[in-house]
Amino acid sequence: MNQTAKVLEATGIRKHFGGVIALSNANLVCRSGRITGLLGANGSGKSTMSKIITGVYSADKGEIKYNGRPVRYRNPNEARQDGIAMVFQNLSLVADLNVWQNIVLGEEENKGLFLDNRGAMEHSRAIVDQLLPDLDIRKMVHELNPGEMQIVEIAKAISENPKLLILDEPTAALEQAQVKSLFDTMRALVKKGVAIIFTSHRLWEVMEICDDIVVFRNGANVASIDFAKDGKDPEKIIGYITGETKEAKTEKKARTVSGETVLQIRNLNYSRFLKDVSFELKKGEILGIGGLAGQGQHELMLALAGNYPGATCDAKLNEKKIRLTRPAYAIRNSIHLVPGDRQLEGLFLSHSLFTNIIFPKLGLSRQPLFTPRKKYRKECQGVIDSLSIVTHNMDMPVNSLSGGNQQKVVVGKWLSFDTDVLLLADPAKGVDVGAKRDLYDYIVGQVKENKMSVILYASDNEELIQYCDRLLIMYEGQIVATLEGEEINDETIVATSMRVR
Amino acid sequence: MNGKNNNAVASALKRFVSNHDFPRLLILIAMFALTAVMQKNFFAMKSIVRNINSFTPLILLTMGQAVVIISGGLDLSVGTALSLLTCVATSVMRQGLPITGVYALLVTFAVAMAMGLINGIGIGFFRVPPLIVTFATSYIWLGIALFLRPTPGGETVDWFQVFYKIRNIESAPASLKAFGEIIPPALVLIILGCILWWIISRTKTGRYIYAVGGNSESAYVTGINTSWVQIKACLINSVFIFLAALFFVGQSRSGDARMGDPLTLKAIAAVVVGGIALTGGRGSVYYAFVGALIFSFVSKIIFFANIPNAFQTLFSGVIIIIAIAGSQLYTLSSRKEMEESKLT
Repeated sequence: MNQTAKVLEATGIRKHFGGVIALSNANLVCRSGRITGLLGANGSGKSTMSKIITGVYSADKGEIKYNGRPVRYRNPNEARQDGIAMVFQNLSLVADLNVWQNIVLGEEENKGLFLDNRGAMEHSRAIVDQLLPDLDIRKMVHELNPGEMQIVEIAKAISENPKLLILDEPTAALEQAQVKSLFDTMRALVKKGVAIIFTSHRLWEVMEICDDIVVFRNGANVASIDFAKDGKDPEKIIGYITGETKEAKTEKKARTVSGETVLQIRNLNYSRFLKDVSFELKKGEILGIGGLAGQGQHELMLALAGNYPGATCDAKLNEKKIRLTRPAYAIRNSIHLVPGDRQLEGLFLSHSLFTNIIFPKLGLSRQPLFTPRKKYRKECQGVIDSLSIVTHNMDMPVNSLSGGNQQKVVVGKWLSFDTDVLLLADPAKGVDVGAKRDLYDYIVGQVKENKMSVILYASDNEELIQYCDRLLIMYEGQIVATLEGEEINDETIVATSMRVR
Repeated sequence: MNGKNNNAVASALKRFVSNHDFPRLLILIAMFALTAVMQKNFFAMKSIVRNINSFTPLILLTMGQAVVIISGGLDLSVGTALSLLTCVATSVMRQGLPITGVYALLVTFAVAMAMGLINGIGIGFFRVPPLIVTFATSYIWLGIALFLRPTPGGETVDWFQVFYKIRNIESAPASLKAFGEIIPPALVLIILGCILWWIISRTKTGRYIYAVGGNSESAYVTGINTSWVQIKACLINSVFIFLAALFFVGQSRSGDARMGDPLTLKAIAAVVVGGIALTGGRGSVYYAFVGALIFSFVSKIIFFANIPNAFQTLFSGVIIIIAIAGSQLYTLSSRKEMEESKLT
């Protein structure tokens, strides 16, 4: 077999963050002149693996050999000097420098006493020309659109002439044509003997560009496929990603969803994040929003809660036209949001439970001049009891609570309101199992009594499968599929999310 | 006139007007014109020199402050640092011993660098918020200055006036005196400062100051030694403070532990008027110069407008707020226009 030299060989990598095991026993081999695809569901350990190779994290256990020599980088700089370049998911550009200054940043060369700006511009121009010839390299980076920024980020990595290039979801922000020129560049690099690790959620891209793939699941590599030898079978790959053995599903409690429409959204548009999103929410329904991470789900939730003045849509609540351009409008119409980032968007962390829970009331019209403290304290105790929030008393600051109990407080804020539509953005993120069950039990109970309808976005498919009556799959800001009944299963969700079906 | 030509002129004008710094230049021109109208013989050589002399310290301190702010820092100790340098210089010099002036130059420069180094290490190395570090050090500088010179005074050598008015030095050669009449020493100091920044802005250090101030996390992953860059920014600031101190000692021929106090916040405000973001990474050191000039003209206008003493401070505050708000509004509206044109 004409195997090329191993550039990178990682064996038995283990890494945990606190109690969470990100990688249990991961292995990865990259060969020069080949593109290796890394695949896996959200949180399967792909990004952690890339970051361990480049020295952003250090592994708890395991060995990494680079060109046959064991290495252990303490920071990204050491890896860079050895010829390992990584394109980060969260961009590493300086917004207030222009394109070429960013590309040569840290690699500037002098001509005499001063910087060789002309040489740097020529060098940058040559690299950018391969990727995006129309880009003006004198533009400031903060003037670029996300796709162009991603291109500059890639150009910055290539300009260092790496031996191993790690691309962590480089195509997420790119348009079709840009993806194509990126692939052309990748092929040219590979011809020169560079090894590339390519991560993407888009299966068709991986199948197009990669020579072989490694599938990660729950922190370990579960399969390696050499496309030339084993062929390309998307169904088989999805099987590896989701795992064949499924845990016994909890019985979905039967609910009766009435035919009455509570919320009707037509043609919701917001910048580049949401494109013509239309759907109906029935009374007593839990409507799920799924798909790969970052396809506009977060923006959809915020738009529905009135956070984007620039969003346009025709919205009807109980047959009545409403506007959703300010949070206050949404709240007045009994649309309440439990935001995804509770610490940043949902809570006043250093204030007491009491303050946090009664806070939305203070914004009501006809609020008495002096807060009826006694009455509110009673109500607050009611909230704490009905959500079983674990705390000594309601005057404890919220940041003394566990993540799960904090999330209950966010939900509790809306408890004394008549909620028509509850928007839940990833409510179980960073919440322990017990609190998660309490939370969902309460919400399902409310829905069952026909007290409210719920729109639920969860990054964990299991939650969607367990609780949703209908499931909308989002892709690049659009709803691409609606799943109902038996269709709501892991395999169908992953397949429709990656658009292979 | 034909239409084509007209169009070209219009588009050039439009480009100039949509320039981010256009409102600031407009304000500067307005202030300049107002002062010129109000001050009698504004264009007479004597008044020009007098104006330059009164503007110089603020201009130098503002440029130094701008370097620190662009690197993501802030220096609350510039005023007391300036005071301390004047006290150090006047303590080293002995009247009638010209050589002590050279000692004073060396010692003062060393003290300036030491102060920059201390601030820089606190900000860049120990990662203490710049506000805290320099607030604390400002008291240390003041304490030392008060120890050296409890009351204003001290000795200087005759030739130190080379930094203020060469004509006053009896022993100076005639040619130097003539030169001083054409180009006042204060202007030479400012030009020196500009040349210094011109050189630095063309080296890695200049680029890195912007990178670190703009996004120190990104700069760090790109392999830039961010601590060292912040220390260097503080050292550059110290050079500007040093130049301002030379001018002061030349002018007042004494040291004063409290003379610099009002300049600290003035310099910071002038940096903001010059369009430099307090969050770092954005703006030009030369525009700090513009900001300082606007500030200086404002005080001139107030002085010549015969506004009663009691209201002068109030008025200067109001004018500055109007100037900043005006340029902010302008930037916001032009940015909105730009975004709208991008969408269509």
